Amino acid sequence: MANIAEQRIKREFREVVKSDEVAACNIKVELVNDNFTELRGEIGGPPDTAYEGGNFKLEINIPETYPFNPPQVKFVTKIWHPNISSVTGAICLDILKDQWAAAMTLRTVLLSLQALLAAAEPDDPQDAVVAQQYKDNNAIFQRTARHWTTAYAGGPNIDAELEEKVTSMKNMGFDEHKARVALSTKDWDVTRAAEYLIS
Amino acid sequence: MGNCFKSSSNDDISLLRGTDTESNESAIEHPPFVEPPPPYRAQPEPQRRMPIYHPSPSVSRPANQLSEDEQIKIAQRLGLINHLPTGKYDGTNKKAKECVICMNEFELAEPLRYLPCMHTYHKECIDDWLMRSFTCPSCMEPVDAALLTTYQTN
Repeated sequence: MANIAEQRIKREFREVVKSDEVAACNIKVELVNDNFTELRGEIGGPPDTAYEGGNFKLEINIPETYPFNPPQVKFVTKIWHPNISSVTGAICLDILKDQWAAAMTLRTVLLSLQALLAAAEPDDPQDAVVAQQYKDNNAIFQRTARHWTTAYAGGPNIDAELEEKVTSMKNMGFDEHKARVALSTKDWDVTRAAEYLIS
Repeated sequence: MGNCFKSSSNDDISLLRGTDTESNESAIEHPPFVEPPPPYRAQPEPQRRMPIYHPSPSVSRPANQLSEDEQIKIAQRLGLINHLPTGKYDGTNKKAKECVICMNEFELAEPLRYLPCMHTYHKECIDDWLMRSFTCPSCMEPVDAALLTTYQTN
């Protein structure tokens, strides 16, 4: 790994990541290996959103050319959000692509991701299905996102009706996660979700 | 054409350097025209390895694999970068103490480069960045637009 990248990550750990402000914002970063190329991040869902109460884990890879190129970040925790792939966790966020600047840090990246959770941009989607639902049926979107937060990110809100639909499909022999994806995609219509899984 | 890219420090004789753009606090103790060390990562075997350029921020290609348009763009970029004023850190600037690219504090006599928006960086750090994106990493101000206004107001 290039020297400057490693030095910067070390500095960021010392000076930025461990600050009190960062703890107050509910974000954190840990090392995965010793050479500072792989990191694990975590952000708390912002208050008054469908993600509130959830903890979302992120996989962060530092390129050799950091900070001249952005870190590669994706969600490990499954999440229902227009700008994050519900399948791969890939993120569509300008500062992780062409709007990256060398003065940005892991802290600014994590805070930006938190801001993205609070303010989705459905017109620049990563997950077309989710973005469509966000625009066409926002109430269902909010409920689905909240349900995913509870199911995958340890969120506190149990939606008994949605829970029950997942269980009923599980009882038909479908895998729980696949059933949840199908139901979420088909606006929680059990019949259409089952057809979707069979086809 | 490819020869233009061998070194980015050869035509370092900038019109702005040595003028009073930033020199009210620098260039008193130090001989002002000493050539700074070569920018960019000095490659151990420079003859054999082609320099790498970045036609766009996330693309890296050796000089001999660039299209003609990309070569022109990069040559122009090198020229513009060389017209940005440089200096050496003398410890008197209380505002700029750290290079936000490498996050290290400036040390005495380290070569610096000043952008038109008045943000200051290590010469080596900012030159590497400017070859990818011609904006200030701190304020995102496009450097070429700012350069033009600087010239016009002068």
